[in-house]
Amino acid sequence: MKTTMPLSKPIRSFILETEELLNKEILLMRNPEAPPGGSLIDAYTYNVDKNIILFPSSYIGLLKDFVIAQHCTHLLIKGAAANTSGYRVFSFDKDSVYRGMRQIYLDALKDEVKKEKKLPVEKLLEMLFILYRQFLEAINELPWNPLVNARVYYQMTQLRKTQLYILLRDGKKDMDERMEFEDIIPRRYFVLDKSMFYARDLFLAKTLPADQLTPVVNIPQMKKFNHLEVKEMLTTRWTHTAWYQSKIFGDAMLAIMEKHLDADWSAPASIDYYAGLYKTGVDLSNNLLSYMTMKDWFIWEKPGHLSAAQDKKGEYEKDALKRIFGDLIAD
Amino acid sequence: MVTAPEVQNLLKRGKAYILHTKYKDALAVINRALQIDPGSAEGWCIRAAAEIEMEKYTDAVADCDRALAIDPNYAEAWSKKGLALYHLGQLESALTACTRALALNANDAAAWYIKGVCLDDAGKTDEAEIAYAKSLELEIIRDIDAEKKRVGK
Repeated sequence: MKTTMPLSKPIRSFILETEELLNKEILLMRNPEAPPGGSLIDAYTYNVDKNIILFPSSYIGLLKDFVIAQHCTHLLIKGAAANTSGYRVFSFDKDSVYRGMRQIYLDALKDEVKKEKKLPVEKLLEMLFILYRQFLEAINELPWNPLVNARVYYQMTQLRKTQLYILLRDGKKDMDERMEFEDIIPRRYFVLDKSMFYARDLFLAKTLPADQLTPVVNIPQMKKFNHLEVKEMLTTRWTHTAWYQSKIFGDAMLAIMEKHLDADWSAPASIDYYAGLYKTGVDLSNNLLSYMTMKDWFIWEKPGHLSAAQDKKGEYEKDALKRIFGDLIAD
Repeated sequence: MVTAPEVQNLLKRGKAYILHTKYKDALAVINRALQIDPGSAEGWCIRAAAEIEMEKYTDAVADCDRALAIDPNYAEAWSKKGLALYHLGQLESALTACTRALALNANDAAAWYIKGVCLDDAGKTDEAEIAYAKSLELEIIRDIDAEKKRVGK
């Protein structure tokens, strides 16, 4: 472990345990530009010989320790996978981009028919790939979040108060994201995006347990659905609102999470244990994609495939547009 | 003619360099400021901060002592001294320095945290818990303020 900052005793032991299990040094770095959740530059995804954890410079105490704990846990999952079955992420190619963008286009068409103010064609075309990539990012990150947090909660008991603050903060922030696009993006995708966060928060509320994390308690837009009476449901058109739909879809996603995330969160640490968590995460990701009918949108590949695909994203987007719209799209 | 704003400006640049992990550049401008005004307690304290990042802990303690000789009630210098002493493995002295820092400024989240770490390492778990809790409380307030600033509320 290389760092110039003080660390609390439990986090020091956890870092050492992570290094020992993965047989690789961890470098901790403060960075003024790091996002609130920090960043992980790991040897299993990038071409680096050390695992690097970056965290915001303003985090000096337990906030920093918690960010490190989260990333160490994720690191263990990735490293264990790399050392056993192989570490894979969701990536994309020409065909998968076409399938995803085409589906989004068809759904957007259905929504546009009902809209009074139509979306300009250029904006609609632009939105297809943006939405596709947002879901790629979400499916590569979100399923791992409840897994990592459940493990950290049971392994790092000293960080529970810190964890609760960060989860409450992030839950609100995630739900607030992309609000300005509610009327632009197809309803189905707005709802699915919010549903994933809803399910994650509700899963953690039950698993940790922490009632405050329940979305109908923590998320301002969802508070009105707490203790909703049958009479209210009948007299108000709740079912027509995106937030109510997010709750319904989110409840279904929670059932998927509960079915697939059945790990022993306080089991002793070992490579086999973390490799098992990786399999659990893969399984959950596949099932969430199936539920969202996006199974053929993305492909499991080595991390190198994803970075190569990112370099070709412009080409793939153009190709997909050509295949959807034919000659209507100019080069 | 040398003016205090020049020194302030150099120190401000030094702090910015530290924030962006450019410690050598930081030392260069801070040294210039200290050449101009060796009586700047803030200058010695900022230099100590850069030295801590460069793992020059003994130098950092010496610079904190210089700052404290100029202004014995300089909370930040006590706090930095606590951190440097902690790295030197002098837990008791680090604890004393942090306690002094907190007596002068009870809102120093870093000092509470270092105090917690020292107490924890000394096996005083219950006392460490209290210090950690205080540090977390202050960090959360700071984090909420930063978030409000970020979203422009």
